[in-house]
Amino acid sequence: MAVITFREALNQAMSEEMERDDRVFLMGEEVAEYEGAYKVSQGMLKRFGDRRVIDTPISEEGFAGIGIGAAMVGLRPIIEFMTFSFSLVAIDQVVNNAANIRYMSGGQFTIPIVFRGSSGMAGCLAATHSHRLEAWYAQVPGLTVVLPATPADAKGLLKSAIRSDDPVVFIEHENLYGEKGKVPDGEHLVPLGLAEVKRPGSDVSLITYSRSLKATLAAAEELAGEGIEAEVIDLRTIRPLDFEALLASVVKTHRAVIVEEDWPYCGVGAGIADRIYQVAFDELDAPIRRVAAKDAPIPYNRYLEASMLPSVDRIVAQVNDVLYKK
Amino acid sequence: MECWAWIHPRAITEGLPGESAVPIEVMMPKLSPTMESGVLSQWLVRVGDQVKEGDVLADVETDKATMPMKSFDEGTVALLDRDVGDEIQLGERVLVLAKKGEDPAKVAEQYGGKKIYVARCQMSPYSPQKIAEQLGGEAPAPKASPEAEGVAPHEISSEAMKVPPRPEAQGAGANGREPSTPVAEPEPEPAPAPAGGRVKSSPLARKIARESQVDLARIRGSGPGGRVVRSDVEAFLEARAKQPAAPATTPSPAAPARELAAERIPHTRMRKTIAQRMVEAKKVAPEIHVAVDARVDELVAIRERLNARLAAEEIKLSLGDFVTKAVALALRRHPGINASFEPDAIVRHSEINIGIGVAVEAGVLVPVLRNADTLGLREIRRESEALVEAARKGKLTTEQMTGGTFTISNLGMYGVRQFDAILNLPEVAILAVGAAEKRPVVVGDALQVGTVMTLNLTADHRAIDGAMAAEFQRTLKGLLEDPASMLL
Repeated sequence: MAVITFREALNQAMSEEMERDDRVFLMGEEVAEYEGAYKVSQGMLKRFGDRRVIDTPISEEGFAGIGIGAAMVGLRPIIEFMTFSFSLVAIDQVVNNAANIRYMSGGQFTIPIVFRGSSGMAGCLAATHSHRLEAWYAQVPGLTVVLPATPADAKGLLKSAIRSDDPVVFIEHENLYGEKGKVPDGEHLVPLGLAEVKRPGSDVSLITYSRSLKATLAAAEELAGEGIEAEVIDLRTIRPLDFEALLASVVKTHRAVIVEEDWPYCGVGAGIADRIYQVAFDELDAPIRRVAAKDAPIPYNRYLEASMLPSVDRIVAQVNDVLYKK
Repeated sequence: MECWAWIHPRAITEGLPGESAVPIEVMMPKLSPTMESGVLSQWLVRVGDQVKEGDVLADVETDKATMPMKSFDEGTVALLDRDVGDEIQLGERVLVLAKKGEDPAKVAEQYGGKKIYVARCQMSPYSPQKIAEQLGGEAPAPKASPEAEGVAPHEISSEAMKVPPRPEAQGAGANGREPSTPVAEPEPEPAPAPAGGRVKSSPLARKIARESQVDLARIRGSGPGGRVVRSDVEAFLEARAKQPAAPATTPSPAAPARELAAERIPHTRMRKTIAQRMVEAKKVAPEIHVAVDARVDELVAIRERLNARLAAEEIKLSLGDFVTKAVALALRRHPGINASFEPDAIVRHSEINIGIGVAVEAGVLVPVLRNADTLGLREIRRESEALVEAARKGKLTTEQMTGGTFTISNLGMYGVRQFDAILNLPEVAILAVGAAEKRPVVVGDALQVGTVMTLNLTADHRAIDGAMAAEFQRTLKGLLEDPASMLL
């Protein structure tokens, strides 16, 4: 098992799946000649040729639609958005077409497509390039929404996404591309829709995904110093939600704090908290707390931007709150 | 500003029948100035009854008295939402009237089970700050703050977001490992009853209490706002397990057969109101007490003379009536005493409306004698009698219970010489009247027997300084000692 970066893990996943299945191809802005704006597709043009690694003009709605059409006739496209902030101009294709064609056609067409790309507050990208749109996509029946947090999950989940017969929105946090971790060589599949306990604990359930896992694990470490054993759950897929895993944890700890980088109102955590309240109200010893981005446009200034993010301090404060400490 | 959406009145109208449907939903009205909820004591209508505007629908026990709840509309009773004995919050629906042309049965079907609650934003415990706390810092900055005007995010000051400190016992056992301090009083000693009736508790605490058959009201909550949380219930159960078996359940052979159980009297609504208002007064108002003795021999003589004259009218003036009259006149000369203390100003009232403390079975009521300074002694007597009778029968109207600007509490009839009264907020002063009794009085250098009455003014020092209180007392003393001066 080699230690590789998150971006290399994604590259491995795509390359292995393209080796395995000739119908798989990659299309997007700068994915071929430039080898990806974030170098995720390094070496892939050379390896697979311009039939399968295709540069597009700046035309997200167009190439997302071409991808959906290709999927309808039997190919398995990977559509890269340079960032998911730009997917906003293609959202009609993703939501109206990709998510609904199977349903609207009575099952005559499936859309085996992956929309992938970077996302998140990645450092001085300002308000229009720092979007976290996972809650938008996660609301749509017909889409699977995946946000890996580690290189191994990135590889295993992307391979599963490419093999899925239904559309997957695969969101990579830009700040994770350089993250290193052990990644199994060759065939490594992580099933879609399964959460993973990244750190077991008994006192409080910390529910998170994507880049926020790092701050959450750091907070859990700090809390352990105070004698609080936090259980950290990485959702990995936010739609469909692995509710069984959450329930098992909350029934054990009776407390939950949800950590997410999206905005608080109608955010992913709001939906999760609602489900827990509906099902496990009697198990709770404290209200569910959430640590999300602050409710404002994302600033350019690096210090202001940092203040928006879920931080170790903010997480610890909410954990203390649900434990009725301090 | 997402938090506002939660309490926006629109939120409560959504999902209800559209505007074309016009049955009238009758909500619990405010029947006393301090009422927050009412207990339904009796229905006076039945489903199917026709009601007109002004008809009495039900009797409702408020914090002060049992009041008739009248209809403001005309229609047919389609649905009664609540049962006798239910405590109903202000704005909560009580019944539904079908209007002319509507089928009451259909209306009942349509509205049945849809109990709705009118948003009570101003009375809500969820202030913007509270909501911000609940959201764990996710609320936006206050609009006024300059940082929030632009797009820059604004960290709400950590001070503002801090959860208030909790009692020591709090942290204990919260995660189940630290030694837990018992925070509950072991049975069968009753724990302090929670204020306001409802026990705040976490869902898990309720579940454990239910399974262990423990009354949550017996457990002192250590969470925010006194919330009973799991650790509290567990500590209580642990303490109970350690207790020797209660004598009531396993009497020792030597114990007397008779059980000496304490009597537990649940708070009435009036008791709760009194408790809350007295604590509030003691909490917010720095009181001073200024007492004077008034020699009332002349007043006693006048009273006898007047009563002899009024015997035919079956009117018997009390000394208290003279005190009421003198107080009203003194207040006219000292408007600073006839006032209310408000956050930004002292309000000197134009009317002199004197509240009179009346002991009733359930506690004490303060009906109001309006424009007392304009009343003669005969009217003061008649109106006081009427108010006392209405108070004892629980028949005071809102009009008779509101608008007071000063209060008199008289315990003279019990032979009390002097006592301290607690302010009846927002009034700034209250007079405690003792008995008129024979006492040794020094006149010149000689000792005489005189009839003396002690009058003790409690004043809110936020509004009234010592000299102001003393000047009022001097005027009052003068009027009582020289009753003829009341004619001036």
